Amino acid sequence: MAKKNEVTRRQFLNYTLTGVGGFMAAGMLMPMVRFAIDPVLKEGTEQEMVPVMDVSEITKEPQRKKFKVDQVDGWYESEVEQSAWVYKDEKDEIVALSPVCKHLGCTVDWSSNAAYPDQFYCPCHGGRYTKDGVNVPGTPPLAPLDVYKMKVEKGKLYLGKPEPR
Amino acid sequence: MHRGKGMKFVGDSRVPAQKKPNIPKDYSEYPGKTEAFWPNFLLKEWMVGAVFLIGYLLLTIAHPSPLERVADPTDATYTPLPDWYFLFLYQLLKYKYAAGDYTLIGTMIIPGIAFGSLLLAPWLDPGPERRPSKRPIAVGMMLLAVISTIFLTWESVVTHDWEKQAKQGEIVEANVDKDAEGYQIYSGQSCIGCHGDSLQGATGPSLLETEKSAEEIMGIAKNGIPPAMPANAFEGSDEELQKLAQFIVETAEANK
Amino acid sequence: MLQRIYDWVDERLDITPLWRDIADHEVPEHVNPAHHFSAFVYCFGGLTFFIVVIQILSGMFLTMYYVPDIVNAWESVYYLQNEVAFGVIVRGMHHWGASLVIVMMFLHTLRVFFQGAYKKPRELNWVVGVLIFFVMLGLGFTGYLLPWDMKALFATKVGLQIAVTIPVIGEMAKTLLAGGEIIGAQTLARFFAIHVFFLPGALLALMGAHFIMIRKQGISGPL
Repeated sequence: MAKKNEVTRRQFLNYTLTGVGGFMAAGMLMPMVRFAIDPVLKEGTEQEMVPVMDVSEITKEPQRKKFKVDQVDGWYESEVEQSAWVYKDEKDEIVALSPVCKHLGCTVDWSSNAAYPDQFYCPCHGGRYTKDGVNVPGTPPLAPLDVYKMKVEKGKLYLGKPEPR
Repeated sequence: MHRGKGMKFVGDSRVPAQKKPNIPKDYSEYPGKTEAFWPNFLLKEWMVGAVFLIGYLLLTIAHPSPLERVADPTDATYTPLPDWYFLFLYQLLKYKYAAGDYTLIGTMIIPGIAFGSLLLAPWLDPGPERRPSKRPIAVGMMLLAVISTIFLTWESVVTHDWEKQAKQGEIVEANVDKDAEGYQIYSGQSCIGCHGDSLQGATGPSLLETEKSAEEIMGIAKNGIPPAMPANAFEGSDEELQKLAQFIVETAEANK
Repeated sequence: MLQRIYDWVDERLDITPLWRDIADHEVPEHVNPAHHFSAFVYCFGGLTFFIVVIQILSGMFLTMYYVPDIVNAWESVYYLQNEVAFGVIVRGMHHWGASLVIVMMFLHTLRVFFQGAYKKPRELNWVVGVLIFFVMLGLGFTGYLLPWDMKALFATKVGLQIAVTIPVIGEMAKTLLAGGEIIGAQTLARFFAIHVFFLPGALLALMGAHFIMIRKQGISGPL
């Protein structure tokens, strides 16, 4: 009865059924999925600049400075401690490096390993960075240390968020 | 289909080697007044579902679900209200023979009988007759139950003060400096009990909307406002009273 | 391609009869509103099931943000409703769905009752249905506490006070439900567990039984 390429009654009902079913599934799931993936689509929050130390205290030798920042984590607000390696480079410019190793996130230390003086050394997997924060080729890290956003105001150093180079 | 002896299986499993062809039953196999579940019946069911879903989503957009302020177990002035489908029970417990000495009747016996007979309906109404007109007792009881449930819910809705209900649960986003010296005095004295922890008011009125001057507030704190606010509610030094009044005026100013 | 994957699985597990059986079973025409409009009364059961599916899905998504703890519960609900995209809709679906499911179930129960559809041989299915009704009321009651707002706390206090009136075991029943002497952190944790694991588990088992029985006995004939 049905000729070739002709939609049978059953096929037609099947298509309509899948269409209606798809509409219901989409109507139901669309808000929920958007709700679930919201963290990915949320814009990053700006972090306030906080005073860390007097500019006059900054030396050529990197110093580890701890400072507190207000962190908003969803509905939970807290104060967390962050730290930075602060020093003045050859051109007398202030550098503030994040101590978080770019390999797997351990904390790097300044010339803590006797074999590599004047380098940042990561104790976890032996990652190394030169004084300007650039990773030494052949060691685990694949990128230089993050640099803090900073500004100097009234003789004080203010740090913001660490940013990758 | 081949059954029993001589049947072939896939490997050493119990899955028959002979496949049932994946062909739907012919429509001629639905004789008389029947139809296939998929796709005929389900299509109509899902169309109803789709229309319902649209209405449902519109409802959620038009009426955001309510959220009252965070639970405060110390707030003794709050009048609780259950969700609407428990209102009939709530209303029932207001009546004389379902409360007080008779509480058990209201909380256990009446609901117990109602829900118990609902559960056991097939045995309470065992006759073979299905038409409502042929089983007047069962249908009558059910109608009675439905009508009284609707009546009780209705009664509780119309006798309830919805404005007060909405107000007492409102989220107050008051800008109150809780570290201020004035607030320490406010919470140390009895003020906080009636005027709330953010001056938002509870049994007493909200202080956030006050237009009174510091002097007037000092007077009220000492002499009260009959009958609700007692005289001599404030028990502290004059200096503290001054600070308290100043704090209330400043807070009211900040929340304008 | 899809056809070949299907055939590969079918050869090993013989899945065709499983779903063909469901797809091809006969449904009487008298329940189809397209034939007689008055048959819309038969839709309430299906709609109840549909809302249950929405409740389970939206509930699963809500727990991505919600924390059952008296310090953070309200904050997390406030956050997910006001800060997260579509939070109003997802929480709205769960909130209004809870009411709608009661309405639909009520109408479904009335339909079955007035048509006398619970008569022999369908007595057991009626009993299972009433049990589902109880589980739903339990879900409503336990879910009400979870946002930890004023309404939640005080409505639960009253609800548990009703439990106290049970003779002899009243106090014990209350303590068991509250998880302690006061309604607080332990109550919230307990209600969360009951609302999210125990009652839905019971609900799924009962609904499975409900559907198997319908399939076995068929839909009751027209009056």
